[in-house]
Amino acid sequence: MNYSDLIIRLLKSCVFGFQALALATCIQDAPSPIEPTIPPVGTVSLDYSTEILTEPFLLDIGIRVFENKLEEESTPGYGGLEFATIRENEIQYLPYVLRNTLISANQWGAVRVLPQDDPSMDLLLSGAVLRSDGQELQIHIKVQDSAGREWLNKKYADVTIDEDFPESTRYTPGNRFDPNSFTDPFQDLYNKINNDLVAARTRLSEQELLNIGLVSQMVYAADLSPSSFEHTLYTNAGGQISLVSLPAKDDPMMARVQDMRVRHYLFIDTVDEYYQALYEDMQPSYVIWRRYSYDQITQNEAALQEAYDISRYSSSTGYLTLIQRYDRFRWSKIYEVEFRELASGFNREIAPAILELNKQVHGLSGTMEEQYIQWRRILRQLFTLESNSL
Amino acid sequence: MTYSVAMTHNVFSFFPFKPLAHAGFTTLFLLCLGANSYAQDDLPLLDLDTPVRLNFSGSWEKDFARSDNWEDELNRVMRMRQEQAAAQAAGIRPLSRPRVSIGNINLGSSRGRSGIVNLARVAEYISRQTTMEIIQDRNQVRIERKGEAPLICGMETGPTQTFSSPHGSEFCGWNRLQLIFEITLPEELYITHQFSVAANGSSLQIVTSIQSDNGIPFNLRQTYSKYDAPPDEYNCIQTISRGRVCSQRTPLD
Repeated sequence: MNYSDLIIRLLKSCVFGFQALALATCIQDAPSPIEPTIPPVGTVSLDYSTEILTEPFLLDIGIRVFENKLEEESTPGYGGLEFATIRENEIQYLPYVLRNTLISANQWGAVRVLPQDDPSMDLLLSGAVLRSDGQELQIHIKVQDSAGREWLNKKYADVTIDEDFPESTRYTPGNRFDPNSFTDPFQDLYNKINNDLVAARTRLSEQELLNIGLVSQMVYAADLSPSSFEHTLYTNAGGQISLVSLPAKDDPMMARVQDMRVRHYLFIDTVDEYYQALYEDMQPSYVIWRRYSYDQITQNEAALQEAYDISRYSSSTGYLTLIQRYDRFRWSKIYEVEFRELASGFNREIAPAILELNKQVHGLSGTMEEQYIQWRRILRQLFTLESNSL
Repeated sequence: MTYSVAMTHNVFSFFPFKPLAHAGFTTLFLLCLGANSYAQDDLPLLDLDTPVRLNFSGSWEKDFARSDNWEDELNRVMRMRQEQAAAQAAGIRPLSRPRVSIGNINLGSSRGRSGIVNLARVAEYISRQTTMEIIQDRNQVRIERKGEAPLICGMETGPTQTFSSPHGSEFCGWNRLQLIFEITLPEELYITHQFSVAANGSSLQIVTSIQSDNGIPFNLRQTYSKYDAPPDEYNCIQTISRGRVCSQRTPLD
């Protein structure tokens, strides 16, 4: 045996040695729950407004499609492509769950999912998925208002328990998925984000909230025609935007800006409807997928404890012991391959919905994000044309 | 069979960079450039980034006449050890071989190691399949055997971890034209499968090597012949909400 063989052999032995050592300490006690790096939100009730709020409180919120920040090492070995595809799809799905939560809280104006940052929004919410499986969801949420004030910059985590996946979530041909009776297993996390936003809003005066609306109006105007409106805003070194002046109420240019903004809202409402269609198409499969993921993680944890229980791994070198060792490996691999096939099945099932999302809107082409950029460019050109023709 | 364990574990070497091969590739590349005007035709282009691999695909059945019988192989190993012990007693000792004590020819278990008899029986157990199906494309080769998870390997030369769990890990890689899978189980039990296919694609050989705790490995050679399996009548896919969905194959499938 040469040196490289020896090193490979030693490394492998070390990996097993460390796993065995770590797990041997675990099996001393009862099964311990996973230790999330971010404290879970626990049980959170949605801060729901029973009153109909007035204008300055009804801020429009744009939720950007989340970023995928899942760690590379969480990709399970060979064939991780299926799992990577699932992540790419769920970053478009999860924002819609948050959008629905914010709408049901009755605390906000229009809440839309968007493929990009949007200058017409009062509040822009962006998120990055740090971890997502059937057992845990970790999201980093950042929220800024149009004036550049940071409302939230926080990591949220929630963990599931058996009760989050009741027997009714085992969908069969006789037990069809009913979205109305379904509660997302991580609903507490979304409730917590809403409640934190409400708390952040409470810290602002009514005048400050009014100001956010005015700034977003002028930010949108400056985005359409920088030469005409940029002078109305001042951005300080910290990126905070304040109003320098406001156009007259009967300013014809502002009237056209408002007109453009209405058209823009129609467009982003359509975009939001596309995300809704994706959400509705994806939800039944995604719920089952999460349930499978939860089951798989639970089984793996049980296997981890079993695998290095020394009393189970007899030091005997007899035939039956060796066969038992091989069979444990064989079955663990069979289970993982089955789980990977389920991941492929999930991706296959939601592929039409993803295609539908990216189909052409109003004659635009490309992905939803590309269409959105094209639309904003068209609006700017239209605005310039109309202004020049006057 | 006399495969040494050093050979079975020194399996993931890169293609040797031979000047002749390099010159050949360069010539091919220049030819491709010269033939640029013909690039519009439908001929496949040679992808130099993807290593050329032999074709393992097809349905294979065990050829018992050309495969090792585990008991015969075990007897052969035992006889060799006995001869070695006898030669040693007579004062003849090959330099490269470990010392064998008379009365104990290391056939049973020693210092926690599994005896060669047990390893032979395990080799027989994990090589029990009489047929297998291999599907190969430009990216990967997938070996399906009844009662086992598929062995899947990409086309890259270097070792790739294909599976890892508390119950063991699996690496795969290519050693020139051989496809190798190495499984490491707890308590230093190593299983290696070396696949090689005949140049004409008619037969396939698998050498399964089992070694425990750096002891003497047991190697079992199995030969398979290609056969024409009847085409699957159904085309099945795994779905998440409807389970496994099958449809009858059409001539176009």
